[in-house]
Amino acid sequence: MMEKPAAREQKQQLQFVGKSLGRVDSLDKVLGKPIYTTDTVPENALYLKVVKSTVANARIKKIDLSKARNYPGVVIVVSADDIPGINESTALLPDKPLFATDRVRFAGEPIAAVASYDPTIAEEATDLAEIEYEPLPAVFTPIEAMQPGAPLVHENGNVCKNMKVRKGNTEAGFKEADLIVEGTYKTPFQEPVPLEPEAGFVIPEPDGSVTCVGSIQSPFHVQTGIAKILSLKPEQVRVIQAATGGAFGPKSDETPVDVLGMAALVAVKTRKPAALSYTREESMIGHTKRHPFVISLKTGVKKDGTLTAWEARLVSDTGAYASLGPLVLIRACLHATGPYNIPNVKTDAYCVYTNNTMAGSFRGFGGPQVHFAAESQMDEIAKKLGMDPVDLRKKNMLRPGALTATSQLVDEGCGLEECIKRAVKESDWYKKREQFHADNGTKRRGLGIAIMYHGNSLGPEGNDFATVHMQIERDGKIKLRTALTEYGTGAPSALLQIAADTMHVPFDHFILEPPDTDFCNDSGPTVASRTITIGGRATQMVAGKLGQKLKEVAADMLQLPLSDIESNNGVYHDKSDAHSVTFRDVVAHAYSRGIALKESGTFTAPRCEYDPETSQGSFYLQYTYGAVTAEVEVDTETGRVRVLKMVAAYDVGKAINPLSLEGQIEGGTVQGLGYALMEEMIHKDGIVVNPNLGDYYVPTSLDIPEIKTIIVEYPGALGPFGAKAVGEPPIVLPAAAIVNAIDNAIGVRVNEIPATPERVLSGLRNQRK
Amino acid sequence: MSKHLLKFTVNGKDHALVVNSHDRLIDVLRNELGLKGTKEGCSTGDCGICAVLMDGKLVNSCLIFAIQARNRKITTIEGIGTAEEPHPIQRAFMKWNASQCGYCIPAMILAAKDLLDKNPNPTMEDIKHATSGIICRCTGYLKIFEAINTAAIEMKAESK
Repeated sequence: MMEKPAAREQKQQLQFVGKSLGRVDSLDKVLGKPIYTTDTVPENALYLKVVKSTVANARIKKIDLSKARNYPGVVIVVSADDIPGINESTALLPDKPLFATDRVRFAGEPIAAVASYDPTIAEEATDLAEIEYEPLPAVFTPIEAMQPGAPLVHENGNVCKNMKVRKGNTEAGFKEADLIVEGTYKTPFQEPVPLEPEAGFVIPEPDGSVTCVGSIQSPFHVQTGIAKILSLKPEQVRVIQAATGGAFGPKSDETPVDVLGMAALVAVKTRKPAALSYTREESMIGHTKRHPFVISLKTGVKKDGTLTAWEARLVSDTGAYASLGPLVLIRACLHATGPYNIPNVKTDAYCVYTNNTMAGSFRGFGGPQVHFAAESQMDEIAKKLGMDPVDLRKKNMLRPGALTATSQLVDEGCGLEECIKRAVKESDWYKKREQFHADNGTKRRGLGIAIMYHGNSLGPEGNDFATVHMQIERDGKIKLRTALTEYGTGAPSALLQIAADTMHVPFDHFILEPPDTDFCNDSGPTVASRTITIGGRATQMVAGKLGQKLKEVAADMLQLPLSDIESNNGVYHDKSDAHSVTFRDVVAHAYSRGIALKESGTFTAPRCEYDPETSQGSFYLQYTYGAVTAEVEVDTETGRVRVLKMVAAYDVGKAINPLSLEGQIEGGTVQGLGYALMEEMIHKDGIVVNPNLGDYYVPTSLDIPEIKTIIVEYPGALGPFGAKAVGEPPIVLPAAAIVNAIDNAIGVRVNEIPATPERVLSGLRNQRK
Repeated sequence: MSKHLLKFTVNGKDHALVVNSHDRLIDVLRNELGLKGTKEGCSTGDCGICAVLMDGKLVNSCLIFAIQARNRKITTIEGIGTAEEPHPIQRAFMKWNASQCGYCIPAMILAAKDLLDKNPNPTMEDIKHATSGIICRCTGYLKIFEAINTAAIEMKAESK
């Protein structure tokens, strides 16, 4: 068992943790400094453009690049033939080539790349590549792909991962039930839309190594990928993360390896720097999106609202290649029956290949899909029982001492009940639900709620570790470096707050260094809101060691025993405060004696224990909990839904920087609002029909409701000071809360999101029948 | 294709250079003048993050030919403030941690400048409309609204 945070961090006066300090990256960003990848491409660089498949599933009969090669201004054309190492660009399973050779599995798959000093010429030349296809029967829905005899996307079958949860006996549970409710729910491909499309450039070094600069989440994942492609040792591939203009998941999957891999081939062949940046369309088609799910639920409940059994069947569409689909499936499967104490659970989950574009990592990682379904289902149950949705949830929700669907004991760090209570109060729940129910105009208001839990960090999804390096310079600047990246979250900035309080040195002494594989150890991927939970623990370790070293130097300077030395706000003194030295004195003294003020450390999370057959056990070391309400207005004539107010209450354990945390919650809530009402990447026979921001809608400033954030703090067992994951959770609930509010407004259950005006109107028409 | 002499003022400085008819304003700003603060997000006028001010009006620089800027005054983010002296709008964005990934922020700040130059007392609705052409995917916009509101108050106080 892990120590409780209270035991780890004895009651200390926190000067920086818990304060809304400014982010360290703000000044460069508001000034428009040239910090992003495309701002810093070397002058003499070649620019790449990519030849991509135009069909969803075909054998490639011929690739003829001669005309493209001979186009005036083209310097080189690269394809699979030019790869010295392994033709692979993957995030998990070795199923995806960098360049397709004899087969394409989705429309938009890279086949070759053209390089020229003039990007316009490179683009023109891509049209001259002659690719001859022999179309193959294709499959575009996962349900069809699971049928016997369906066209095979990969030889080993279309189901690339399955998983099950077995707790108790659902058949017995259904017998105890007074009511059984069944429902099927569908979710779309959601496009992450980081505002900066994928970009990278590669510089060939004289010693045969390469330096890669790019818009990426996980430098060491890119390093491994590029080394494989170039047949180099990983340490011959230096990866530097430039400032990254949004990521949300896909920049930890394949596209950064695709972009830098193609550029690297050109760079090593020509010995010139080579750059590739995707257009918006290439980005939207090429990178991974949120998995569409089809979710069938069957729930047994007693008259008093007690849940007796819950069965779930999940089918996800991972597209033509697995990407992180198998891991998304694990998280979805484990969370499928919601944050409830249910004695009997049976979940079966399948991740399925199709000839659609790829799905993979996206903020929430399976959580939004299953919570949309489970929380819609809870409202259907409440309606059938004639029970208030809040009361039904309170009756069954996870509390300390309860067991999750995997029989994990819920510990004291569970503030779900307080989240619900505060969201209910802030939304004026009981009064408004009654008032809205009586509405009968053409514009009707509704109020909905949804609640969640979110297993923190990787749990069963991978090795969970992070490394932090810190060094104090002669001038007293304290540099912190880690391979956990900043791509908008503010979490690396918060690490400095943790370091400042651990070392008792003021925050303004700290500097965050850019991630660079030459200067830091692997920290695993920057995903799953790991930076503060795991990286924060590594920071505490390293800052603790460095702080101790400074105390030792201070003790030597003051000629006092180490145990007498206390540190406070950059001053080291004895217990009576009669003798003291400053941080700057201590640093100068250390430098004069050749004492290295440099420490590194790795924190590795304890492994989770579970039975892989039944999925019973402890999968995650702590959970974030939340409750969200949405107040909507539905226009019954147009079907348009406007969200007027949302309350977002989250148990985050400990808010390291409340202002940045609010920013995460607001941003995730609005992405969730888009998921609920407007965002859907539409494929027609495998071709994306809306790969641009004119046809794929994301929320704009005019769609924004009032959002009231409520921070609840029940310290978790894992994170520093009890902090929990906060980046991902805010996108999990809005869709469920909003469709539940629509139902409250007009009595229409929208079981497929987004709840577009067409779907709302169609629901109203069916109601009249 | 033909070449033209483009004379224009960027951030208060006069420039004269030869451009092609089809050269986009964003490319001339970024590649010829080295002003990398103007970002490209979609190239189709949908995201708005390439916005600059042309004679005080917010325009998408990916949709404007460079030659359309002839004899006009362009303001980019580099013309708003400096590290030593950030503009009150920039200070307010920092105060609210309103930039997350930061990619839309130059355009948001220019949109705020456009608004506050014309309307020193904006309502929340005015702020929403002024920023409605620019997509932000990180913040959910609320901290940006707060920052613009704070900047309006600070600028009024400073002008007194």
